[in-house]
Amino acid sequence: MEKFLSYIIFLPLVVAVVLGLFRVPLKVVKTGALISSAVILGMVCLLIANFDPSLGMQFVRIAPWIKSYGITYFVGVDAISLVILFLISLLMFLLYLYMWDEKQKGYWYNMLLLQTGVTGALLSLDLILFYLFWETMLLPIFILIGRYGHEYSLNSFNAMKIILMTVMGSMSMLLAILYIGYRFFEKNGFWSFALNDLSSLSLDPTASVWLVGGFLLAFAIKIPLVGFHTWMAPAYSSSPTPSTVILSAIMAKLGIYGLWRFGYELFERTLDYYAPFIIALAVIGVVFYAIHAIMEDNLKRMFAFSSGAHLSMIALGLFLTNIYAWSGSLYLIATHALASGGIFIMIGFLAKRIKTVSIKELGGIASSAPKFAFFFLFFALCIAGVPSTGGFVGELLIIIGAFKHHIFLGFFASLSMLGSIMYLFWMMQRVLYSKVKKATVGFEDLNIKEIFILLPLALLLLISGLAPSLFTPLFDPQLNAMLKEVALKVGGTL
Amino acid sequence: MIEDINLILPPLIVAFGGLVLMFLSAFNKIKLQNYNLLAIAFLTLAFVIELPRYGSGERFFAFSKLFFKMYIVDDFSILFDLMFLLGAVFTLLVNSVYLKKRKYYSGEFFALILFSIFGMMTLAHSNELISAFIALELASISIYALVGYHKNNPLSGEAMFKYLVLGSFTSSFFILGSALIYGAVDSTNIYDIASFVSSSHGEKLIPVYMGATLIMITILFKIGAAPFHAWVLDVYHGAPFPVTMFMASTFKIALFAIALRIYLVDFKEINALWSSILQVITVLTLLIGSWLAYSQKVLKRMLSGSSIVHSGYMLIALSSVGLGAKYAAPAIMFYLIAYFLSSVGAFGILSFLSSDAKRQFTYDDFKGFAQQRPYLAAMMAVFMLSLSGFPSTIGFLGKFYIFTSAIEAGEIALAALGIITAFISVYYYFKLIAVMYFYSSDDQKKKFEFSISTVLIGAMAIIIIWGGIGTSLFSFIPGADGLIDIATQAIESLR
Repeated sequence: MEKFLSYIIFLPLVVAVVLGLFRVPLKVVKTGALISSAVILGMVCLLIANFDPSLGMQFVRIAPWIKSYGITYFVGVDAISLVILFLISLLMFLLYLYMWDEKQKGYWYNMLLLQTGVTGALLSLDLILFYLFWETMLLPIFILIGRYGHEYSLNSFNAMKIILMTVMGSMSMLLAILYIGYRFFEKNGFWSFALNDLSSLSLDPTASVWLVGGFLLAFAIKIPLVGFHTWMAPAYSSSPTPSTVILSAIMAKLGIYGLWRFGYELFERTLDYYAPFIIALAVIGVVFYAIHAIMEDNLKRMFAFSSGAHLSMIALGLFLTNIYAWSGSLYLIATHALASGGIFIMIGFLAKRIKTVSIKELGGIASSAPKFAFFFLFFALCIAGVPSTGGFVGELLIIIGAFKHHIFLGFFASLSMLGSIMYLFWMMQRVLYSKVKKATVGFEDLNIKEIFILLPLALLLLISGLAPSLFTPLFDPQLNAMLKEVALKVGGTL
Repeated sequence: MIEDINLILPPLIVAFGGLVLMFLSAFNKIKLQNYNLLAIAFLTLAFVIELPRYGSGERFFAFSKLFFKMYIVDDFSILFDLMFLLGAVFTLLVNSVYLKKRKYYSGEFFALILFSIFGMMTLAHSNELISAFIALELASISIYALVGYHKNNPLSGEAMFKYLVLGSFTSSFFILGSALIYGAVDSTNIYDIASFVSSSHGEKLIPVYMGATLIMITILFKIGAAPFHAWVLDVYHGAPFPVTMFMASTFKIALFAIALRIYLVDFKEINALWSSILQVITVLTLLIGSWLAYSQKVLKRMLSGSSIVHSGYMLIALSSVGLGAKYAAPAIMFYLIAYFLSSVGAFGILSFLSSDAKRQFTYDDFKGFAQQRPYLAAMMAVFMLSLSGFPSTIGFLGKFYIFTSAIEAGEIALAALGIITAFISVYYYFKLIAVMYFYSSDDQKKKFEFSISTVLIGAMAIIIIWGGIGTSLFSFIPGADGLIDIATQAIESLR
């Protein structure tokens, strides 16, 4: 059981390297990827079954890596990362099914590498190891966008844009990591980059403001908060469907997760200092992205902005540091990942059928493809946060948390629901119900395989919306414990 | 007597090999490949003899009656010897295809390589300023000749002339500096200087300060640090591929060998004096180098420009040495190894490809390269990643050690600047990856050509990844962990 996490991280990489070296035919690559992701999904389910919510970090594994600098291979999983781990493995499995017709082998290899990258970044508890995965997961995204993307003329530009912006963030994080590591060495006489060692370090306020700045830049670009978002819409619209799903459902969430894991473990107090600024940015983001989404004509770009709005909402919940907002954030991370994954996969289906994702050219899909319309509607409503879907629970909890913080903040946070209802309903009215346009004549409905891909996502969303109490016991104890610690350091009431 | 000869055996073999090759080439009887093999055989022999000597931790002086303490043998010099020999062997092997397809190579080429290696080895062993100067000139003069080796190419001639004039001019600074130091200390032996520096103070030290600064100028010129960088692009561009590779990797290692010895032994007590000078030079080197590399279209020039930036990274650590960072010197050695592997690999692929083509490769020539030659493209991508310091390659760990040592010395601003230039370098290195992978090509897919060059380049790509992520999984192969320990041990032997 202890070795499961390592298997989960490295199995896709091993599959990719072994199959790549032997230059096996496409069929084998596809089967290999699918089997490996199914095995991983099974292992994750086993982990969930054996997970004890009251224990915190579990299935920990430490092995020395670079001894002279105390860098270790240190992985482990707790409630927060377990939720995201489940999402990654489920989405990856479904994405491999989705891209079954993909003929280029490089596409498959890059997806496998991407899986290793995101899982590794999620599970690592050593800062250098985390940095390693955090950077390496960019590489497959870079190639996927540039090589296999959609808008051919702009691909290299957009790929370069995302890599330069995110590398800028992560380099600033690297400097901060090195500095913390050195301070630890200075104080204790030995090197360590393990999270639990470094969190015992107390830094002087000026230094930690700079250090948090370094970390925040990396995470703010990845989320992206307003002002750091210029890579987002081009990258989302350029990249092929699977990597759009990963960008929106997983990688953006890893930005939030990074703040949670590293931000709040290392510098609670300084984050408290930054909180008003981030909250302001998040609230601006909720409104700004919604307005952008309303004006957008390209479906992919529209949902890119919608995803930005929801991530701002999640970031808002994270920085409110009360239990409602925190469990709301975690809940919204999960449900938004499922819903945006679903919607981007459906946009992929749409693009496969009629080669356009421009809202202007679409219309009346519901009349010829009722099943498609049903699922599209369901995922969109879930993103909008309509009651009885999972999205509602998360957003509601964050809004309650915001009201608890301050009444005006609660008011602005509620704008999120209003905004998303505006752009989503208007979009659906145009795409699904208006007159049939030239491009959508004889729109083919979903087939069995496509329904099979979407069904798990839809079911999970429905269950999480109807019975949130099924899931909250999994992560509530840990969130409470973390909040208590934060409260102890910051000195506020929660 | 026998023991003394035994001590200097490896350089002796190399020098002897150079002479043999020179005589052979006078008659021009054997094929070019055989010259190459012969040169490699001599180098390998020296390497094999040298390898078991590493790690004794002891310090010997060869011919101590005749030369006094001029020729030192310690772990530090042995490790550098090994690096030079390996560097030369790699350079020759990687270029074997290129050398074969060019008409103008003959036996002297290999003789010159061996002589310059002999010079570098003596440089690492010399414990005294005058012999260091002679060794440095021996290495440099061989390289001047090598740079202009392609006689019919005006670029090559221009490069040689530029390098020769500027290089000999700056070499005179070294000799002037030594003279000033001799005037103050009455000796040019490094240990005598060290004890003089630690025992005296005030006005007596002024000639030493001046002399040491002049010596520093020579070294900075040779590694291409700004503001002494003007020759780098043209010389690297004009020189034949094998020579560019040799200069950018092996010769640079040799210069850091002498720089480290002078810095860590000679002027240990007064190192802090240069730290501020070095800081300014480092800032200039990083910024100017980045600008030069960023603005190039020809790949060879881009790599040359970026070699200035890499010198800048090592200068960060060198200025941290003066400020008392304990891990700075091993960091430089590790970085040298990392840079050596990545740059020889990248230059190697270029030289392998240009052995058939008659022109310089630009970024555009690599469009669709990943489709034509998937394996070579993957290797090139690995080298680019390593040069840009992407994690999971050895280049990242090199930067990691350098930046940590800078932070240790309190030079956070310099570390931040290093991070910024690393960020800029992501642009010009990733541009090549983008060009290789993002464009489809009309040409047919070519089969992987098995030759010594390509196999060795592939091996280097694997070593780079292994050096970046290698763990204690296989305890007998030094991975990321082992290399830095070896470097630390070598530095310890200086003290």
